[in-house]
Amino acid sequence: MAAIELVHLSKVYGNDFTAVRDLNLDVAEGEFMVLVGPSGCGKTTALRMIAGLEEITSGEIRIEGKVVNDLAPRDRDIAMVFQNYALYPHKNVYENLAFGLRMRKVPKAEQKRRVEEIARILGLGDMLQRRPAQLSGGQRQRVAMGRAIVREPKAFLMDEPLSNLDAKLRVQMRAEIARIQQTLKVTTVYVTHDQVEAMTMGHRVAVMRDGELQQVDTPQRLYDAPANLFVASFVGSPPMNLFEAVVEGDNGRLVCRIGDTELELPADVSSARPLLANYAGRRVAIGIRPEDVREASGWDGARLRGRILLVESLGSEQLVHIEIAATPLERSDLVDTTAQPPGPSLGVDDLERAVTLLGRFDRHLLLSPGEAVEVAIDPRLLHFFDLETGVAIPTVDVPVVAPVAS
Amino acid sequence: MSSVTQIAPTPVSPMVPRRIGRRRRVRKLGWNLLGLAVLFVMVFPVYWMIATAFKPGQKILSYTPQWFPTNPTLSNFRDAVDQPFFWNAVKNSLIVVSSVVALSVVLAFLASLALAKFHFYGRKAFIVLILGVQMVPLAALIIPLYILMSRLGQVDKLTGVIAMYLTFVLPFTVWTMRGFLLGIPKELEEAAMVDGATRFGAFVRVLLPLVGPGLVATSIFAFIQAWNEFIIAYVFLHTPAKQTLMVWLASFTTLRGTDWGPLMAGATLCALPVVVFFLLVQRRIAFGLTAGAVRG
Repeated sequence: MAAIELVHLSKVYGNDFTAVRDLNLDVAEGEFMVLVGPSGCGKTTALRMIAGLEEITSGEIRIEGKVVNDLAPRDRDIAMVFQNYALYPHKNVYENLAFGLRMRKVPKAEQKRRVEEIARILGLGDMLQRRPAQLSGGQRQRVAMGRAIVREPKAFLMDEPLSNLDAKLRVQMRAEIARIQQTLKVTTVYVTHDQVEAMTMGHRVAVMRDGELQQVDTPQRLYDAPANLFVASFVGSPPMNLFEAVVEGDNGRLVCRIGDTELELPADVSSARPLLANYAGRRVAIGIRPEDVREASGWDGARLRGRILLVESLGSEQLVHIEIAATPLERSDLVDTTAQPPGPSLGVDDLERAVTLLGRFDRHLLLSPGEAVEVAIDPRLLHFFDLETGVAIPTVDVPVVAPVAS
Repeated sequence: MSSVTQIAPTPVSPMVPRRIGRRRRVRKLGWNLLGLAVLFVMVFPVYWMIATAFKPGQKILSYTPQWFPTNPTLSNFRDAVDQPFFWNAVKNSLIVVSSVVALSVVLAFLASLALAKFHFYGRKAFIVLILGVQMVPLAALIIPLYILMSRLGQVDKLTGVIAMYLTFVLPFTVWTMRGFLLGIPKELEEAAMVDGATRFGAFVRVLLPLVGPGLVATSIFAFIQAWNEFIIAYVFLHTPAKQTLMVWLASFTTLRGTDWGPLMAGATLCALPVVVFFLLVQRRIAFGLTAGAVRG
């Protein structure tokens, strides 16, 4: 158990490709830190640098306060779980689990005791004599976990350990890994591209993009207060609705214009974001979570008119794609493009520039494609971003999130 | 109406599969016949060699070919073994072959490890060179190599022949071993290094056991090459006591003709070790050890 500190960490391949740029990250003792980001964002490279499998171009890595830049992987006392498990195929499960202990010259009797205990905990007790080829995917995953745990290292490093499992097993192992980490209280750095994994498992989540750290915070804070457009679009499934709007000042009151609908911003919204007044007369990016988009019956505020494109029933709720008149974000470089919902326009004539708004609606609402619908948007639930930089317009305090239209 | 639509297809449908089935069977038969023909072409010379080895002298060159040795005799084998320098040749061949196999496997493992796992300047050029070297015909190299070796004082010495064999065995074995090493996921060594092994320890404890089939395949190749090679041995080894088995075999052909019976018996004896060696190790090749390392 040890704290891990990354200080101005960079990795440059060759002369030009920067995989990780000036990464600063403190992982506290016993913390479960998740590095998340789309593929090629540098998260795996960062992890491999901590493990010592990748050379550090500049910066420092400290484990337990000690700089480990020049230490070989074996001297860092960390354990790693690889994406493809990397079990030794010529050794049976027992030998796989015991390999690290053997390398560290742990006495034979102690090896046997620890391996058997771990095997019992992970339910591998009667498979110790099998080769990896004779195990199922889930069992291999367990052996890979066991090989890390049995060493009792200072830290666990996990590189997408669940990505090779099928969906059901993944959910199960997700909980299992989180539970094991909680019991052992070993500092863990976990890399994944799956934001659901990141949100459900991590004490804190570090979102990376193009080698740069975007935001580090608790899952809830990431969700409630994304630092920029990229985090806003990356975290959450389905992703946040993002589009352009214009902020207008009107005798000290601020109004947000979406398409041709004017949304008056109550005093608490503008006072929570003192800088928002500076944007009067300018375009901003605004975002709203799908669950905050509501059908407008019973809402006395401003309404957005739209047309239903598609209704996806999820059983407990329904996802409704609604086309509204608004300006789409043109700076696609600021958002996670894979998360953007596809916007197939039905070619509705009266909508000059259309945006597909994703709403998460109650399953009892009867809605069908082609229907006109009115949508209520609570200004208090809006997220505001600078259109040039993509950075969130900061709030003084966390806004109290209250349910709308209920 | 409905009865018509039901009845109509029934007489047609069983005929279609039967016709397809017959065509497929004919095609299959054709391939099988071709396979048999190829097998016959491959196997017959070997059979003829063995059969001849067992025939008494006067039957070998009879105008009506004798397909089976009706009165098998071991006299040809006795003659062959009693030829001068037979046991010298056996000893020389064993020395040459075992040295070439051992050296080429060790050197090829280390060289291919460097080529597969390390990045260094000129690596690509080196790989291309290894491939290119194998394109050069051996006959073109014999004279320059002979001059080189004679300056080094290595003509008519087994060490010279061993060095020569390595020059054409190594490129192939390095190339093959590199392929085997590339097939092993790099995470395996990395896992070993994180688990506490040194880089060299990871090679020895993880890579070496996994590359076993590759080592076997390359050693078979080296064995066959070194055992069967004739021209270099013939050119370089003058003294009869220093000749290898293949050169010794050629001594049955003299100015006065060829002594076919003992020659065939000798050839059969020479072929045996290769077959035995192959039988010993072939089970190790077929079995891919890397199964189960990564997801499956």
